[in-house]
Amino acid sequence: MIKYLIKRVLWMIPLLVGISLISFFIMHLAPGDITSNEASFNPKASEESRQRLRELYNLDKPVIVQYGLWLKRMATLDFGTSFASHQKPVFWQTKDKDGNVNKGLIQEALPITLLINVLGLMITLMLAIPLGIIAASTYNRWQDKSITLFNFIGFSIPGFWLSLLLMYWLGVVNNWLPISGLHSLNYESLDAFGKFKDSVNHLILPVLIPSITGLAGITLFVKNGMLDVFHQDYITTARAKGLSEHKVVYTHALRNALLPLITIVGLSIPGLIGGSVIAETIFAIPGMGKLFYDSVMMRDFPVVMGILTIGSALTLVGNLIADIAYAWADPRVRRGVVRD
Amino acid sequence: MSHNIFKKALANPLSKAGFIIIVMVFLLAMLAPVISPYDPDEINVKAILLGPSWQHWMGTDGLGRDVLSRMLFGGRISLLVGLVAVGISTAIGILLGAIAGYYRGWVDTLIMRLVDVMLSIPSFFLILAVIAFLTPSIVNVMIVIGLTSWMGVTRLVRAEFLSLSGREFVMASRTLGAKDARLIFTHLLPNSLTPIIVSSVLGIAGAVLMESGLSFLGLGVQAPQASWGNILTDGKDYIQFAWWLSLFPGLAILITVLGYNLLGEGLRDALDPRSSSNK
Repeated sequence: MIKYLIKRVLWMIPLLVGISLISFFIMHLAPGDITSNEASFNPKASEESRQRLRELYNLDKPVIVQYGLWLKRMATLDFGTSFASHQKPVFWQTKDKDGNVNKGLIQEALPITLLINVLGLMITLMLAIPLGIIAASTYNRWQDKSITLFNFIGFSIPGFWLSLLLMYWLGVVNNWLPISGLHSLNYESLDAFGKFKDSVNHLILPVLIPSITGLAGITLFVKNGMLDVFHQDYITTARAKGLSEHKVVYTHALRNALLPLITIVGLSIPGLIGGSVIAETIFAIPGMGKLFYDSVMMRDFPVVMGILTIGSALTLVGNLIADIAYAWADPRVRRGVVRD
Repeated sequence: MSHNIFKKALANPLSKAGFIIIVMVFLLAMLAPVISPYDPDEINVKAILLGPSWQHWMGTDGLGRDVLSRMLFGGRISLLVGLVAVGISTAIGILLGAIAGYYRGWVDTLIMRLVDVMLSIPSFFLILAVIAFLTPSIVNVMIVIGLTSWMGVTRLVRAEFLSLSGREFVMASRTLGAKDARLIFTHLLPNSLTPIIVSSVLGIAGAVLMESGLSFLGLGVQAPQASWGNILTDGKDYIQFAWWLSLFPGLAILITVLGYNLLGEGLRDALDPRSSSNK
């Protein structure tokens, strides 16, 4: 198990190098000198900031040297400072000489995106697992067929369109829910319960919509997993020895069908992080997605590269956790019977 | 072999519905110049934000343009982007997957690590950054979606090649002295074609969604050219008093993507020996 873990972590190093190469390559895609480009799109950029950019990326040196130096800074988690947002650090807080703490952009945005995605994922799983079980146990009957139809629509519906419609219906027409931001304007004046309620109200739509669109995939996965397990010999044995259908489904089949779900949840992380762009832009939520979109539009290269790298590293960490969880949950892997 | 699979897939009512939807959407888009009631780019200041009526079935937008006509012409763009983007990703996927699966060894390792790297970068971030840094245009959108979505096909083709290489007919051909190219193009590739088609059909659904999302963010198809995504973007600003601008393009995307998904899953089901329809 320990050996497996070490091997698994070491695997991440070449991947991280590859990710850094691609992030670096993207910055060099912009036509011409990135400093001129940055300046032409961002009126705030001064000659001074251009010079800073040139120094930051060592633009006067050969590309390979630039990459090496950038990689070196990245290895120490130094992603530089943003051009657009008053030179805030890209990743983590720094202290200036007067001892004032300057919070990092990603440091501020990441918890918001993580919160929304974790809540969304929990809701997705809470709905998808029962739906998948129902579909599998009523295979080819009307319950299964309606869930299948619902899945197809969930797969196909553009999330941003659903957001717009719900925002209009719940927020504008009926005024039931706030439609943008994380807090109301009077947030500071509310008591603790009022603050909580206000936050929950603001989170309902941004959390619910991605979980509705993500529901289809997971439901289908649970259903197929259950159907596969139903054909196994030990299920036949369980039925043959006269166990109740309830017991067969919930204690024998479900546990085995849910195992691969761990991997799927791990694999869905890049999609969740990437998908946050549209949702956060629509609902004006200051998370990673909106930060990325704003930075891309302002040619704020240090932030763009920082988010690309950190977003990808998060994916790797997510997959690692999923693999560890899988190994922990599956005795075959845990005891080294099956090699990965 | 693949002929049977299409026949089997179309026997399933859901995939049949998907097939009919796709054909209908394509017909409407191709016939756009003939059946559009108005010029899609014609601005009419006397007819701004009119609701659906007999003159304008889907109403008019903020510049008085006929939404139905814009939807029909926009459909051509959305469909084209889907097809070309998936064409690019499938071509790359087949090439890399074939190389990895046929030659194995270090080439295989290298390609598969590249796949892992590409899969760990959130693809929407990647696409957004690349398109914004180059200039947003239809061509760039198609190329970038294609260049960032070949990983699935690569894995698929590689897996097919690996499993086919061990089969008797391939070994026999190899023993008889067949060259690499002959083995790849007459034995391995044709026998891997069906899963590739399934994944392409499903890929088109994803690409259409991706294009509409990019256009919605202002990074896809640029105005005045209509696409479903950018009609929806315009609609967003008028949502309080012109619901038709948001409703119809979203429905069009939903229906088209649904069609591709139904067809793709139907094909996959027909292909999967474990699925119930084959038992």
